[in-house]
Amino acid sequence: MQTKVTQLFPETALERVLEALERELLEATDAEILEAARDLGMKPEMKGSAAFLGLRYPSGPRREEFFDPQWMLRVLNDPRRISLAGRSLPPGAEGPRAPSARRARTRPAGRRPRPPKEPTES
Amino acid sequence: MPIENIFAAVSAGSRELRITHRMQPLADARVLRPTQVALALKLVTEMDLLRLKTIARLHARGLPPDMGWEDLLQEALTRVLTGARRIPEQIAPVAFIAGVMRSLRSEHWRRAGKASKRYAASDYRARGTRELALKDTAPDPERSLIAIEELKAIERLFADDPIVLGIIDALGEGLSAGQIRAAQGLSQTDYDSARKRMRRCLLREGLTCRPK
Repeated sequence: MQTKVTQLFPETALERVLEALERELLEATDAEILEAARDLGMKPEMKGSAAFLGLRYPSGPRREEFFDPQWMLRVLNDPRRISLAGRSLPPGAEGPRAPSARRARTRPAGRRPRPPKEPTES
Repeated sequence: MPIENIFAAVSAGSRELRITHRMQPLADARVLRPTQVALALKLVTEMDLLRLKTIARLHARGLPPDMGWEDLLQEALTRVLTGARRIPEQIAPVAFIAGVMRSLRSEHWRRAGKASKRYAASDYRARGTRELALKDTAPDPERSLIAIEELKAIERLFADDPIVLGIIDALGEGLSAGQIRAAQGLSQTDYDSARKRMRRCLLREGLTCRPK
């Protein structure tokens, strides 16, 4: 008996999974939504809650609103930028010196050290 | 300042031309977002909006960065509000809007596929040869790669829950609930509790403020 071989494309699998998960979310009760929001530290019942970001008021500006995505890809994939970032330092060259962890504290000007207290006779 | 005086001041080369009266912005001329309009018209409730946000974030997976979940949701609501898509009486508005978002997503991929085929056809014409290329029914490799990455991202959400991972694999294969229970050897209670865990994780992921 021959086994039926079916090829499953990842797009088809993704569409099916998304559709099934969408059904799950449609069935979610209000209590479940509130519980999930509280898990994230959100209070949807309050005015100006972060849960409504992008719904009642706009979320922050996205970089795609200012830059063309194709242009950004070209810039990020520019081989010159990659080679510059990956270039190792020549032998013998030292990087910037890190400041020493313990430095001597300089006393602020104008302040003199106090004379030691003399023992009082009592 | 009356307009005649402005002309007189400009022609006389006066440097003391100052704007003394500014027009106040109209407080009532606020532009509402489609989500706000839908709320005001009581098409959806606040909880419905949160539900739609989680669904929009789900459907925005794999789409290019210039098409975010907000665009998907606002566009779907705009189509409903303008009457381009009419809600049938027997369907809940939230389910219908979710369906519109799904179709917007499909529309995007259809458009992207057509654009790539158009470019391919123009190449043939440029070479002056006959279009003998067979129609390739296989999906675009770029789209396949994106789909694989998104499936992996979804699986990562449930990395610590093998039962849910098994259910998701089975959902990808197109199995029904009964078939999944039989294949995974799950009782009805186990299956229901796994679905509940899955819903909670999805809601948490959908309500977050992180970019998609």
